[in-house]
Amino acid sequence: MSEIHGASGSYVVNALEPSEQVEFEAHLAGCDTCGPEIVELRETVSELTHLSAAAPPPALKSQVMAAISTVRVLPPEAPTPDSAAPASQIDQLALRRQVRATRILSVAVAAVLVIALSLGGWVVSLVQHQAPATATMQARLLQAPDLTAHTVTLKDGGKGTFLASKSMNRAMFSSGDLPALGPDQIYELWTLSGPLTAPTRVTPDSLVTGGATAATWFTGPIADSDAVAISIEKAGGASTPTNIQAATAL
Amino acid sequence: MGVSAVPPGAGGQSSRPDGAPGGRGAEAAHLVDLMSACSRGHEEAFSELYDLTSSRIYGIVLRVLRSADHAAEVTQEVYVEVWRQAARYAPEKGSVLAWMTTMAHRRAVDRVRAVTSEVVRDERYAATESDRGVDHVWEGVEQTLDVERVRKGMASLTAIQREALTLAYFGGYTQSQVASLLKLPLGTVKTRIRDGLIGLRDALGVEA
Repeated sequence: MSEIHGASGSYVVNALEPSEQVEFEAHLAGCDTCGPEIVELRETVSELTHLSAAAPPPALKSQVMAAISTVRVLPPEAPTPDSAAPASQIDQLALRRQVRATRILSVAVAAVLVIALSLGGWVVSLVQHQAPATATMQARLLQAPDLTAHTVTLKDGGKGTFLASKSMNRAMFSSGDLPALGPDQIYELWTLSGPLTAPTRVTPDSLVTGGATAATWFTGPIADSDAVAISIEKAGGASTPTNIQAATAL
Repeated sequence: MGVSAVPPGAGGQSSRPDGAPGGRGAEAAHLVDLMSACSRGHEEAFSELYDLTSSRIYGIVLRVLRSADHAAEVTQEVYVEVWRQAARYAPEKGSVLAWMTTMAHRRAVDRVRAVTSEVVRDERYAATESDRGVDHVWEGVEQTLDVERVRKGMASLTAIQREALTLAYFGGYTQSQVASLLKLPLGTVKTRIRDGLIGLRDALGVEA
């Protein structure tokens, strides 16, 4: 058994570090033996919750019921074959096309992740569990046809990956392994126009805390930027970079 | 209320579960029906789903977070998400409870790691935890047949398997943190967690 299979146990108890999780999920997408094992181990783990069972506060139920009454149930991702009404010929075709498109898409996403991993050894878990809106945005970025991934090593030894899509006009910085900074320092992201060596425009963007794992969106426009960079600045950020750590052309 | 009510078949621990994944067929199948009704917007089905599952969901979130306030908040988030995603639950990918507990544990762990990302968890507390062993994890747990069954399954594991699995699942630690708490190589911890789960699976007769 290859080493990656061995992470299935840690995966189902959510004990993988973000980078390990990306690696495992990329593997899972193409592994025929891990899928069934994950299902079985999840059932097993679920049994463990018998040992921690505890009655919730009685007031919680009315809060939950009030909360769901304002939330719409999402439509199914793809109709199930056993859905009540018999589907017409056309629907069947559309369904098959949709299923195929989804499959191709997930293979493509896995491929991008694998490339990002082999390039830099690191990328933050892009399938991490975040607020649904953010997660959807991430999924869209990952599925963008012109997505590029640039893994960089910072001067201070940290690692991170810039993910950018000009068609979406968005970019993200995945900080996987950034050293913790002093309390008066912070990482700052930048967008640049013109060549990296002599940029014609350098615009400050989002701030990134050191020592933590996070995916940070660029706020600035990406479509008309030629490069992105990360620097270390005084807490609060700077308007021009003073200590560039890494940069990459888009 | 709650799942401590003995489900059909729970007493026969040697009998293989049938029907839906996760076994205890009738209850599991009933939960699938409730999910299906939820996916069509039936709030009364959701209310029953809550009654049948909330002690399991709230319990694991509370165990990981060790804060009743945080646990109530995360539990509410989980149930809202279960409602939103009801139509996306796929029985062939596992039981309703496995789907829900996976989601709940993930969110609890995310909350723990977000809160402690700046302040590394108090290692002294963690060390005390591991010194005390794992038995305290189920101190005071209501004695039900299910608890007894799972407890026996845990008892069939080696001490290291049990400890690694307990720290990872109930403690919410990453495998690297478990390795440093137990002073074992990461590879060993990874293997023990997986072996432990496989041992538990066999002891409980879980089938996918």
